[in-house]
Amino acid sequence: MFKEAFKSIAANKLRTTLSMIGIIIGVAAVIAVVSVAEGTSQSIKQQLSTIGSNLILISPGFARGGGGRVSTAFSDLLTKEDAERIAQMSPSLAYVTPIQQGNFIVQYERQNTMSTVLAAYSAIFKMMNLNLFDGDYFTEEDEIARRRVAIIGKEIASELFPNGDAVGKTIRITSQNTRQNFKIIGVLEKSGNLLFLNPDRSIIIPFSSAEQRVFRRSYVSSIVAQAQSEQLAAQAVTEIDAVLYSKFQDTERYRIVSQDAMLQTINQTMALLSFMLGSIAGISLLVGGIGIMNIMLVTVTERTREIGVRKAVGASRRHILLQFLLESIILTLVAGIIGVGVGLALSRAIALVGSIQTAVTPLVIIIAVSVSIAVGVTFGVFPAMKAAKLNPVEALRYE
Amino acid sequence: MKTVIKAENLQKIYKMGDNLVKAVDGVSLNVFEGEYLVIMGPSGSGKSTLMHLMGCLDKPTAGEIYIGDVAVSKLNDAQLARVRSKMIGFVFQQFNLLPRLTALENVELPMIYAKVPRETRKKRAKELLTLVGLQDRMHHRPTQLSGGQMQRVAIARALANEPQIILADEPTGNLDSKSGEEVLKIFSELHDRGLTIIVVTHDPEIAELGERVIHMRDGRIVSQEVRASVGNV
Repeated sequence: MFKEAFKSIAANKLRTTLSMIGIIIGVAAVIAVVSVAEGTSQSIKQQLSTIGSNLILISPGFARGGGGRVSTAFSDLLTKEDAERIAQMSPSLAYVTPIQQGNFIVQYERQNTMSTVLAAYSAIFKMMNLNLFDGDYFTEEDEIARRRVAIIGKEIASELFPNGDAVGKTIRITSQNTRQNFKIIGVLEKSGNLLFLNPDRSIIIPFSSAEQRVFRRSYVSSIVAQAQSEQLAAQAVTEIDAVLYSKFQDTERYRIVSQDAMLQTINQTMALLSFMLGSIAGISLLVGGIGIMNIMLVTVTERTREIGVRKAVGASRRHILLQFLLESIILTLVAGIIGVGVGLALSRAIALVGSIQTAVTPLVIIIAVSVSIAVGVTFGVFPAMKAAKLNPVEALRYE
Repeated sequence: MKTVIKAENLQKIYKMGDNLVKAVDGVSLNVFEGEYLVIMGPSGSGKSTLMHLMGCLDKPTAGEIYIGDVAVSKLNDAQLARVRSKMIGFVFQQFNLLPRLTALENVELPMIYAKVPRETRKKRAKELLTLVGLQDRMHHRPTQLSGGQMQRVAIARALANEPQIILADEPTGNLDSKSGEEVLKIFSELHDRGLTIIVVTHDPEIAELGERVIHMRDGRIVSQEVRASVGNV
């Protein structure tokens, strides 16, 4: 029976191929779209798990962009003192550090490069799981003594020191109105992007050393805190909120985002995105299915006489129904398998060209193939029933 | 004499546009086991319709047909299919072989529906093709065969499930006289082996071969001649 179905399908190669294209495109699109969404969400989750857990990011709120102005973050709200107050008032927190962040030109002898300079307390290394490749972290003492020491990212290190001997060298951090020398005491391991920060392209210096020398302002970019445990994370957010609300009396002026909340938002966004794109791809499957139905109806009409002959030699309605259903299922199944192949290739190509992570899970492939079969059944059943119900005498007379 | 097919007051009415056509109009008939029956009549006399009714390809508007002891009107589609599969072998004027299948596969087809195991099926199909003299044409497709050869494949196919009855509708109508004679010779041989043969034709020469000849006109049996003693109608 399978053999016969294959034969009938193979008898009209061009028509078969054309009718399969809709399904192939649909399945390939679903696979590709889901692989991008899945890959992105996997890479974000990976970053979140690398970055250290239970982090809470406190940043200034956005000024409303009334009167044609673009809404921008307040840059003059949060201070180091806020960080200190939070540390005092929130028992659920393990660490708190103010963060100053900015882009500067960094120079060593004749080499220079752009780098993100991040000023923070020494706890930042523990909080963000930043490991050393070489040298040492700066310590609380360095902080108190306002020492001009720096820990640099792997990429910055290899750009400024191609020979790999960064530790002990003095670099110059330059902006429009400042030039400051810092001594490198450590180089970070390569870590890749960690959400709001790329440590590989950063230079981390003690907060006190940077405060007046490099950044020359008393407001901070953000405050990062870490809860003592996952259970205390929500409690910590409430505590921080209490501290900041008592200062600003306005929830619009600051934002508190926990890692958990970030993860949830990302998951929701990704789920919504895959659902929307998946639906669009699903429409292609629907159109493909209608194409299959159309071609099966043509096939049934063309083979009316054959159906009559089959009935005359002993085929029941069920035999005829199964035969045509089998043909449409094989058609969509083959199309589905080809679609999976094309989808895999597409997802690989997206990963290469777009340099984003894509991931195809076995579940997606199973679903795609099952959906193809379902399309074959759904759109094959009507033509097959039409074939099965043909009156044998009339079918035999059909020219 | 045992009756293999019994028709009681059969009626088949078609709707052609606004007209009702009485293709078969009150036919009663017994077909006896091992008989060679010829049904004659001009075109439009209802002889083909009668054959379709006797072959369970169609259901009568009124009246009843018994195949053996079974009343056909009581059967559902699957049971009708089984009757066609096991009891009856059809031979058509147009041969009606499936063009994509080889001679061998065409002969195997009824056995597939009768769920005969693959090995037995192949073996029997080869035997049958040998019987009709096509042992070296087994893997040819219908388009590679002559009309006479195609009709012989069709006869082999009709014999596949060892039916009691062969129903042939103008089996020589599309053949030259030599091929026609060969086909009729096979029918005679089958008859000699005890099969019931029913041939529908308007060719008087074929009628010569029948033990009994029934003449139809306007959906009714108008006369019958018995050439050999086979019992009564």
